[in-house]
Amino acid sequence: MTTTVTTPTDREIRIQRIFDAPRDRVWRAFTDPALVAQWWGRGNTLVIERMDVKRGGHWRFVEHAPDGVHGFEGRFREVTPPERLAQTFEWDGMPGYVAAETVTFEDLGDGRTRVTTTTLFHTSEERDGMLSAGMEGGVNESYAALDRLLAGLA
Amino acid sequence: MVQYSPRLGDAFAAVADPTRRGILERLGRRDASITDLATTFDMTLTGMKKHVRILEDAGLVVTEKLGRVRTCTLGPRRLDDLAAWIAKYQEMQNARFNRLADFLERTKGESS
Repeated sequence: MTTTVTTPTDREIRIQRIFDAPRDRVWRAFTDPALVAQWWGRGNTLVIERMDVKRGGHWRFVEHAPDGVHGFEGRFREVTPPERLAQTFEWDGMPGYVAAETVTFEDLGDGRTRVTTTTLFHTSEERDGMLSAGMEGGVNESYAALDRLLAGLA
Repeated sequence: MVQYSPRLGDAFAAVADPTRRGILERLGRRDASITDLATTFDMTLTGMKKHVRILEDAGLVVTEKLGRVRTCTLGPRRLDDLAAWIAKYQEMQNARFNRLADFLERTKGESS
């Protein structure tokens, strides 16, 4: 299987891969904590502290690697089974940097699934600036602004 | 295994490789010849020249030939934290996808 990496913009990275499994199974592998625990840690022990798979739900994973303990967390921004998942992504090792990940699951019709992860990287200062610029009251407005921004960049 | 689009002929692609990140880190401490670098990273001269050329094309490294020795120094384009993070992310994501492929293969035919 081949992983394809492209950079649509200088802040964005798109990683595509075709998995030899039907879309429903791939979707479950991304959204069922018991299944996520079996691959997300890259072979290291993964502790899923939180994983609330719904819009606004918080996730936090802690990976116990030979070089130390790494925490990752964020919030789900969109959960549309079995097609699309969007979430923010932060790594404890890079405080102040936030990525917005969008994962799409494409049924290839032959029992295989193409997974495309598009990730937009920015600093939290930039993100806060974007959010406040688009905010007219309430978190939903902020998210809507971010959605528009992401849609424009995708 | 990993295919890059032509657009990735830049700093991202250059630092996506752990050896090349190591080379940048090494040159951050002190300039070095290609031979020094090959020794440090336990590589052939040809292999090291290839890595250095990629870094040079991305503007991350500058080389200068003095007599028979080619010396490498950090280039005008410095690797910022964001670029380093993106490279690290890409490496992690690739490792995750490899694991996921293995997992899906292993659990083929199971109800979950």
